[in-house]
Amino acid sequence: MTTGDKIVLVAACALVGWLYAAFWHPDAAGVQAQVLVAGRVTQSVSLKDHGTITVQGTIGPSELELRDGRIRFTRSPCRGKQCIHSGWLARDGDFAACLPNGVAVRVVGANTYYDAINF
Amino acid sequence: MELQPTREDLRIAWLTALAIAIHSVEGVLPSPLPGVKPGLANVITIAALLKFGWGTAAWVSLLRVLAGGLLFGAFLSPTFVLSLAGALASLVVLGAASLLQDRFSAIGYSILGALAHMGGQFWTAYGFFIPNEAMMRLLPPLMTAALIFGLLNGIIARWLVQKLP
Repeated sequence: MTTGDKIVLVAACALVGWLYAAFWHPDAAGVQAQVLVAGRVTQSVSLKDHGTITVQGTIGPSELELRDGRIRFTRSPCRGKQCIHSGWLARDGDFAACLPNGVAVRVVGANTYYDAINF
Repeated sequence: MELQPTREDLRIAWLTALAIAIHSVEGVLPSPLPGVKPGLANVITIAALLKFGWGTAAWVSLLRVLAGGLLFGAFLSPTFVLSLAGALASLVVLGAASLLQDRFSAIGYSILGALAHMGGQFWTAYGFFIPNEAMMRLLPPLMTAALIFGLLNGIIARWLVQKLP
């Protein structure tokens, strides 16, 4: 290998390392939770907060619990309780919905988030 | 009137045929990651660059992309456009690097070419086909693959150049 080759190799490794630092975010932590009623964002809460939120849906009140940087449904007037079974949401892009009540929660990260990625 | 191919023409034709053969064999092999190929045909481009200069390397590389596209039915498809973009980007970088006169061996050229190839392809894919931020997450692993295969192809190309008369 010539000196030039070594410089190229070192620079290339540095470039790749920088690319990982700049663009490789495996699983971004959520920052905020957005509460949606009938498809519209009605409130945004910081995941740093603690406590419960009651949201009036189409058939009754849904209760959400915020704790330790996570959010979950704790009470719902629906029959299936799918929303409660979704459990804790903490990561950017996490989503849970109670379709009968029209209430949904979406966790949003610091950067742009995606519903889906297709190739 | 009869066109007389020059020695240079024949050399380009032979090298291109070799590159297409390597490219075809590689196309049949399974790829560890979608979109990642070793690009072994670039060994020929690098060897041509070192032995016969940038002009020959450019002919071989572009003819390989064109003929490969026609052979495998990808001509003017996105695959072909990406292939061409990669080849053009790597030729530009190889041209610039060869202006520095003998600073690099086959290994340096191969790494530079591979990174430029992947970079050019990625930029084209991002700009024309999928302009989505999510694409950026693919760039680090793709460039890692380019670096590894660039190095390996460079080692093969150096060996080849040493063996050539």
